[in-house]
Amino acid sequence: MRTPRPAAWLGALALAVLLPATTPVVAETSVTIMRTIDTDRYDPHRSTARSTAEALFMVGDTLVALDPDLKSVHPLLAKSWTVSDDGKLYTFKLRDDVTFCSGKKFTAKDVKASIDRWLDPATKGVVKNRAGDVKEIRAVDDYTVEYELTQPYSELLFQMTQHFHTIINADEVAALGEDFGVKGFDGTGPYCFVSWEPRNELILKKHEAYKWGPAFYANKGPAKVDKLIWKIIPEDNNRVAGIQANQGDATQYIPYWAVDQLEANPQISVTKAPSYFWTYFVGFKITREIADNIEVRKALNLAVDQKAIAEGPFFGKAEPAYAYIHPDVLDYDKKDINTSLFGYDPEKAKAILEAAGWKMGDDGFRHKDGKKLKLVAYSFTNIWQQIMEAMQGDMRKVGADLEIQVFDATVIWGKLKTQDFDLFTMSYPYVSAGDAMNLYFPSENRPTPNRVNWADDNTDKWLSEGRAALTPEARYEAYAKVQKQVHDAVVWIPLVHEPMFVAAGPRLKPIAAHGIYGAGLYKGLGIELK
Amino acid sequence: MLQHIAHRLLISIPVLIGVLLVGFLLLQVVPTDPATVVAGPTATHVEIEAIREAMGLNEPIYVQFGIYLTRVLQGDLGRSMISNSPVVTELANTVGPTIELMLASLIWAVPLGIVLGTLAAVRRGRMSDRIIMAVSVAGVSMPIFWFGLMLIQYVGFHWQLFPFQGRGGPLWTLSGLDHIVLPALTLGGVFIGPVARMTRTSLLEVLGSDFVRTARAKGVSERRVVVSHALRNSLIPVVTLIGLQIGFLLGGAVVTETLFAWPGVGRLAVGAITSADYALAQGAILVLALSFLLVNLLVDVLYAVLDPRVRAR
Repeated sequence: MRTPRPAAWLGALALAVLLPATTPVVAETSVTIMRTIDTDRYDPHRSTARSTAEALFMVGDTLVALDPDLKSVHPLLAKSWTVSDDGKLYTFKLRDDVTFCSGKKFTAKDVKASIDRWLDPATKGVVKNRAGDVKEIRAVDDYTVEYELTQPYSELLFQMTQHFHTIINADEVAALGEDFGVKGFDGTGPYCFVSWEPRNELILKKHEAYKWGPAFYANKGPAKVDKLIWKIIPEDNNRVAGIQANQGDATQYIPYWAVDQLEANPQISVTKAPSYFWTYFVGFKITREIADNIEVRKALNLAVDQKAIAEGPFFGKAEPAYAYIHPDVLDYDKKDINTSLFGYDPEKAKAILEAAGWKMGDDGFRHKDGKKLKLVAYSFTNIWQQIMEAMQGDMRKVGADLEIQVFDATVIWGKLKTQDFDLFTMSYPYVSAGDAMNLYFPSENRPTPNRVNWADDNTDKWLSEGRAALTPEARYEAYAKVQKQVHDAVVWIPLVHEPMFVAAGPRLKPIAAHGIYGAGLYKGLGIELK
Repeated sequence: MLQHIAHRLLISIPVLIGVLLVGFLLLQVVPTDPATVVAGPTATHVEIEAIREAMGLNEPIYVQFGIYLTRVLQGDLGRSMISNSPVVTELANTVGPTIELMLASLIWAVPLGIVLGTLAAVRRGRMSDRIIMAVSVAGVSMPIFWFGLMLIQYVGFHWQLFPFQGRGGPLWTLSGLDHIVLPALTLGGVFIGPVARMTRTSLLEVLGSDFVRTARAKGVSERRVVVSHALRNSLIPVVTLIGLQIGFLLGGAVVTETLFAWPGVGRLAVGAITSADYALAQGAILVLALSFLLVNLLVDVLYAVLDPRVRAR
C-alpha cells in the first residue's frame, strides 16, 4: 500500500476548506412593486388610505378573508364562527398554529387587544362604525373569541375582511408608541415589515412560518418570494416603461392609455379582478339653490354621456355607470333602481328643463326668473379634469353652464367640507350596497362624507334596519328601500365603474387580481417568479 | 475678501427670515387641511375634528408661526406629521441624493457648455457655430420633463442602457453610478444651452478687446490667446449665469427627482406638500432656500476670485 504524498494531503485539505464556499447558495428572490403614492402610516386603526390597505393585507391578517368574488367570506385566522340568534354575539374559533412575525404566538387576547385599541378614544381611530356597535370583546380562552354587539350588524363579517380589522401585536404597539406603523409593524401576514422610508419604499420579507393563507389561494404559504419592495414611482410613463424593462415587477397602477400596450406585450401579463367595486360619480349639493331642484338634477343626469366618458378618459376600460353602485355588488337592488334616470338622452333633458321653466337665452344658456342655469363644481385633478371637461360639454348642449374649479388632492378635502359648491367629484370603494349607503347617506355623516347633505328620517331608519337585520333577506329589503329612495332623488350623476388591472413583468407569473379595497395584490401569495 | 464674505452672510440673514415667513404663510393660505388628508376620504367630520385637535391645527396662525420660529432657531424643525420622524432626519436622508444629482449634472454640463460656447465663438459664423447655437436654443427651450421622458423611453426602455427608477446606492458603487446617469443627463441637459450661449457671447466680446489684440500682435498662438487670456476673462458672466441657473436647477431637481423616483429633497418637498405634511414641507422649503442662498454666496466669492477689481472694492 502506498502512503499518500504530502501534496495529496494538502490538496485534500484545501478541497475541504473550499467546499463550503462552493456549495450552491440559493439567491434571495426580490420583487419590486410599483405604486404612485405612499400612505401616512401603516396603522389599521388610523388610516383609511388604499396604500395602507395594500401593505397591511400582506403584513397582517384578519379573522376572515374575502373571496375574489367579493361576496363570499372565508376563514383566515378564525377556523370557524357562529352567530347567535339575536345577531349580537359572534363566537370565533381561532387557529392554534399562527405566529406573529416576531415569533409570538397568536391568541384570542390579540384579537381583543386589536379591537379594543381601535375603539379606544385615545387611539383616535377612524371609521369605527365598521366595527359595529361593540359591547365587549372577550377572550374566552386562548383560541375562542366572543365579539358581542349592542345591536346586530348584518355586515360585520364583510367588514371584518377589511384592513381596519387587522390583528396586531398589542405588545409591539405599546413598545413603539407613536412609531407603530412607521418604524415597525408586527403582524401575522405572509410578509413581515422590515423598513419603511416614507414616500420612497417599504420593504417586506417573507414570513417563513406562514401557512394559513385563505382557501382561494393555491399557495397557502409561505410566500414564494423572499423580499417585496413597494416602491413609489409617481410618474405614469416611468411605471409603464419600468415594468417592461424589468425595473419594476408588478403594478396595479397602470394608466388606462397603457393597458392595451401592456396586454400586447407577450412578456407582460395583465389580469383583471373578477369583481371590483369602485365607482366614480358627481354629487349634487342638494341644499343649494338650483341643485335642490329634482327636475334640474334629472335633466343634468340625462345630459351626461357616461359611455363617452368611459371611452374617452378611461380609454374604453371602464364600465359606464347607471346606478350609484355596481350591479354585481351584494344587496344591489336590481328590481327597484330606475337606471333610465341615469342614461344619456339630451333631448329628454332639454324637454325636462323646458317644462321646469328653464328657457334658452340668447347666450346659449337657460334662464329662469332672471337666474342663469349655472352650477359650480369642485373637482379633483388628473383624470377628473378630463371627465369634468366632457361633462361641461354635455351640459352646455342642453343649456347648462358648468363652472369647474379644480383642486389638488391636498386642497380638495378641505374645500369639500364647505357648502360653497353645487357639484363635487368623488370615487370610492365599497364591498356591498349597505357599505356604500351607510357611508354616504346617514344624516349624521353630513357634511362629510355625506357631501350631498342628504337628511331623511326614513333613510336613517332603513339604514339602521339594514345594519341590524338578522337575515340576508331582511338586510336586502332594508337597503333596497334606501337605494330606491336615493336613486329616485337623483342626487348623484353616476359615471363609471372603474376596473382593476394588475400587471406582472417578464420575471413573474401572472398574478390574479383581487378587488378588495382597491388593493389588487391582496395577500401577495400569488406573487411568484417564473 | 473675508469682509466681503461677512457682508454677504449678514445680508442673507433677513432673507432667510423672510423665506421662513413666506414658506410658512404659503402653506397657510393654501386651503389645505392636513387633518382631512390624514383622516382620508371616508372619515366623518367628528373624526376629522379629533385629528385636527391632536395635530394642533386649531391654534391661531401667529401662535403656530411663533412656535415654528422658536423651534427653527433652536435647530428643531419639528417632526413629520406622517412618519413621526424628526424633520431634520428626513432632510438629512434626502439632501445627499439631491447634492449628488446636482453635482453629477454640473460636472459634465458646465465644462461641455463652456467648450461648446468657446468652439462657437472661435468658429463664429461657420456651420459648427450655427449647429452649436441651434442645439443650445433647443436645449434652452426644451422642457426638462420632456427630455427626461425621452431618455426614459429610448435610453432606459428601448435600448435598456441605464436604469431609470430610484437611486442605486452611493456613487462609488457601480449600481450608484448606473442609476444616476439618466437623471444627471436630464438635469444637466437643460443647463448646457444657456452656458454655451453665454460663453460664446462673452468670449466674443473679450476676443475683441485691446489686450487680446496686443497678445496676438506679440505673436502668441491663437489657442493660447483664447484659452489662457480670453476665456478666463469671459468667465465672470458665465459664473453669474451658473449661479442663477442653479436656482432653476433646484426647481429642475424637483421635476427630475419625481420623474426618476430619485429620493432627494425636491421629491420630499413635493411629497410633503401633496400629503399636507406641514412640518416637512416647511423644512424642505427651508433647505431649498438655504441652498439657493449658499449658491449665491459662492458665486459672490467666485467673483472676487476671478476678478481682482471686486476684491479691491
